Amino acid sequence: MTEKEENYNGGTEGNRQRWRKRFFFVKLVFFAFFAVITAKLIQYQILESEKFQALARKQYEQKFILPATRGNIYDRNGNVLVSNTILVSFAADPKIIGDNADAVAEAFGRILGKSKSAYLSKLNESQEKRFVWLERRVSPDVAQRIEAAKLAGVVAINEPERLYHYDELASALIGFTDIDNSGIAGLEYEYNDEMKGADGSVMMQRDGIGRVHPSADYPRREPVNGNALVLAMDLTYQSIVDEELKRGVDANKADGGLAVMLNPKTGEILALSVYPNVNPNNVGKFNIALARDRVVTDVFEPGSVFKIVTASAAYENHIVTPDQPFNAEHGKMKIALNGKKFRIISDTHEYDRLTFQQAIELSSNIVCAKVGKLIGGEIFYREARDFGFGIISGIDLPGEVRGILRKPNEWSGTSLQTMAYGYEVGVTPLQIACAYAAVANKGVLMKPYAVAQVKNAAGTVVRENKPEPIRRILSQNTVDLLTQAFEGVVERGTGKEVRTQGVRIGGKTGTSRKWSEGKYLENNYTASFVGFFPLDDPQAVLLVMMDNPRTRGYYGGITSGPVFRAIAERVIATSYKYSPALAARTEQESTSRIVPDVRMLQPSVAEKMLTGCGLQCRTFGKGAIVARQMPEPGKKVEKGESIALVLNEEALPMKDGSIIVPDVLGMSVRRAMNRLVIDDFDVKLQGSGVVTGQTPAPGQNVSVGSNIVLVCAPRGLSLRAQKTASPAVN
Amino acid sequence: MQKNHIDIWLMVAVLGLMVISLGVVYSASAEWAYARYENQNHYIDLHAIKILLSIGALFAGLSIPYRVYKKLAKPALIIAIAFLAVTLLLGGETKGAVRWLHYGGLGFQPSEFAKFTLLFYLCALLTVKGETIRDLKKGFIPAMVWVGIVTLLVMLQPNFSTAAMIIILSIMILFVGGVRFSHLTATMGCLIPVLAGYILIAPYRLQRMKLFMQSRTNGRANYQLWQGMIGFGNGGIFGVGPGESRQRDLFLPESYNDFVYSIIGEEYGFIGAVFILAVFLFIMIRGYKIAKNAKDDFGRYLAIAITGTITLYAVVNACVALGIFPTTGLPMPFISYGGSALLMTAFGAGVLLNISAYTDMHPRIVKAGTAMEPPPSAELGKAY
Repeated sequence: MTEKEENYNGGTEGNRQRWRKRFFFVKLVFFAFFAVITAKLIQYQILESEKFQALARKQYEQKFILPATRGNIYDRNGNVLVSNTILVSFAADPKIIGDNADAVAEAFGRILGKSKSAYLSKLNESQEKRFVWLERRVSPDVAQRIEAAKLAGVVAINEPERLYHYDELASALIGFTDIDNSGIAGLEYEYNDEMKGADGSVMMQRDGIGRVHPSADYPRREPVNGNALVLAMDLTYQSIVDEELKRGVDANKADGGLAVMLNPKTGEILALSVYPNVNPNNVGKFNIALARDRVVTDVFEPGSVFKIVTASAAYENHIVTPDQPFNAEHGKMKIALNGKKFRIISDTHEYDRLTFQQAIELSSNIVCAKVGKLIGGEIFYREARDFGFGIISGIDLPGEVRGILRKPNEWSGTSLQTMAYGYEVGVTPLQIACAYAAVANKGVLMKPYAVAQVKNAAGTVVRENKPEPIRRILSQNTVDLLTQAFEGVVERGTGKEVRTQGVRIGGKTGTSRKWSEGKYLENNYTASFVGFFPLDDPQAVLLVMMDNPRTRGYYGGITSGPVFRAIAERVIATSYKYSPALAARTEQESTSRIVPDVRMLQPSVAEKMLTGCGLQCRTFGKGAIVARQMPEPGKKVEKGESIALVLNEEALPMKDGSIIVPDVLGMSVRRAMNRLVIDDFDVKLQGSGVVTGQTPAPGQNVSVGSNIVLVCAPRGLSLRAQKTASPAVN
Repeated sequence: MQKNHIDIWLMVAVLGLMVISLGVVYSASAEWAYARYENQNHYIDLHAIKILLSIGALFAGLSIPYRVYKKLAKPALIIAIAFLAVTLLLGGETKGAVRWLHYGGLGFQPSEFAKFTLLFYLCALLTVKGETIRDLKKGFIPAMVWVGIVTLLVMLQPNFSTAAMIIILSIMILFVGGVRFSHLTATMGCLIPVLAGYILIAPYRLQRMKLFMQSRTNGRANYQLWQGMIGFGNGGIFGVGPGESRQRDLFLPESYNDFVYSIIGEEYGFIGAVFILAVFLFIMIRGYKIAKNAKDDFGRYLAIAITGTITLYAVVNACVALGIFPTTGLPMPFISYGGSALLMTAFGAGVLLNISAYTDMHPRIVKAGTAMEPPPSAELGKAY
């Protein structure tokens, strides 16, 4: 019971002491709290302040990219080949949508004409995620209908998309971009830095629930749009070459083919086709290996087309004359390889004696081998080198290779003779075309180029490729002798298939066995024809090559020759500069035009395209993109016809599915019909002539697809009707 | 007993905090008010009214002689307990808890009222019982019965944090009042299993505890706490400036209420945060000085209880905002968006000031002929 005693005996002094001690303890605890809080404040606000400030900035500020528009690509005449469109992608935040998933899926299904369940499963399967794509790359007019549905939790994201107006046309030349709009092939790759522009940005302030407003602390950086390319390519020639090459490859059941057309005077690439090819608007569907620009990336043994080097070296160094006779050995000749071994050179036909020019015209390997021997290794090598074989041409296309041209000290005993008719060398198709272009250009080799000009967004030329002579290879005399021989090829020799009315063509056939895995393949040839026209003043050099033609034989003359001729004939028909007589005849024929597809283009671009093919246009409404056009693409119309372009904002029904009746009073019936059909009205006509009355009246809101009754009267009557209808004027 | 001047600096500190509160709550609540009511003044208007009412309560507390509570405390506590019981039966629900009594358009949290009446009653009990409080049956258990009833009713709402504060403050005042140390430790030993059971019944409490423990290791499990910390850090030493808080832009929930200290830290920086802390420290020191100088035991215990309540709420709120304690919804006295707590605390401050008037800390200046009870000359000489 000591405690009890303490209780009652604890005097006032003990009582007070206890109180003081306990009170002091309470105060001490509180002081400790204050100290701990101060320490934490020092930690967060002084020591770690920078870390938290960075975190804060990260959550308040959001950088929005203002994408730069990639530069367009035009042909040499200003036709739009490649432009851009904006597609809209829709993403959803399943967390925000929540219970609304059903309604959202229903709306998407209804507007896009797909099943609702697909969208519903997308929304439901990823409830944890805050972002799920609902639909990618929707065209703007459909997108506006989705946006009009005002679905909470659904965001629209603009995605710029490259639009290749002519699909596969010149795809090997133009190339294409990847999903991020960055060039990965062809000129799109080569000139990517020029065309991509510089994205701008705007810093947005964000609040805790994701609302944004522009930040005043950072200046808005406007995007710099990319530069446009003006190609040396001519859309007309390109489409001819594409079309005829495809036809030729199909007719010969070849594995593939390629064609390249140059302006010999400048080195400009006028057309470049590889077939089969890819559609750059839909690259994913194709084998990407086909996208290679084989004109510069592939090396082949040229065969007889390489005899240009033999003939040039021989003429230029006065080693032979055209009339100099040679023993053609009846089509078979043995040459010693090294002592005991022999190689047999054979011709396709057995000839007894041939002059040198005849040997070129008839493509005698034996005679060329003999002449090669006469020329000698050093001179032959130098000549081949001067023509640009074994060297990069420097063309502005990606992936160019230099080919294979060995130095004389690397040759075997028979190399000189075999090279003289085009074996034991590797060349690119472009090198062959450039070599013949040098002959057509009076002996001066030009540097080839694909892009003529780079223009900025304002249309100012910022860079220009000008014709650039590399070197003079041939004297005028040699040029004349070669031209004479090449014309002979077409007139009398292996290239008779190429001969055509009204224009003189010179060229050379070539057929070489394909080499694969260490040996020449049986029955697998590369067949080519390269030439230029018109001979009096060559405007175009054209090379056509077939890879493994199988139906009509394998010779260059009979496989690639007809393709060359078909292209040449059509090219000549386009312009007086080739053959005035022919051109005049064909000009009259075509007054009809096929309406091009200008939907989803900017109005200015659409207008340029339409005027470019001799059509006119008129636009309705406001908006950035053509939503609909009348007549529709692919329709045949007369030259000069006007095409109605409906811009996106006008063309769309209002949110509630209603649309405003346009005013067609006073229009001719045809114009009125055109106008109303654009908005999907069902038109009923009463009478003919000019529209004098319409029900419902202009400006009224009706539902889409409504009936419109037009009352029409002949023009004279309608004028009267109009006068009586407006007495207030007088 | 002689009545002197009140502790004017204590009053300045309390009223000063209320004025600061108007600015801070406006800045912290405008965005939320706009987001919820499309009226950025929604909260600040209500808050201003509550501040005015609280100042009224403060002056009421100041003018009522504190000794009347010695007798009033018990009936008031019984009324408070009745209120708590009624609340449990009829009260309005907020976030899953029944904490409110509504009458007309007014809401009232009986738990705040109960907290003060209980503390007042305990002070009265300590005074009356004197040394008998050290007796288990005659002193300690009767006191703990009241504490138990109030705590249990508040817990049932459920309002864990207020219940915990009631227990802590009760134990504090009983401890200072001389209750046997062994009784207190035994009580706390009993509380641990009760606490564990309480946490286990309601899974959200366990979750909150887990989150808090996680946030200690990875720093960001609790969104609100993390946003609060960003607020402090973003303020740095000098702050981003009045009204420039970005955390209140709907990043920091309860930015005008439980996390208002974070907004102060962001807008006024380390300097502002420490200043507020210093004011509370000042209030504590003044309050305990009043306790020390109180002329009777009741006044002393009352001063300790009221000062302890203000200080405890202030430090716990700051600790929560800084992530030292797990997140609980306790306001910062005089600063947080107002309610029953503000009103009761202001009244408590008034009582504290009233107690100060009966100390010798600020003797009345005697004008000739006006003094009712002239002070002893010795006392005068000491002060002047």
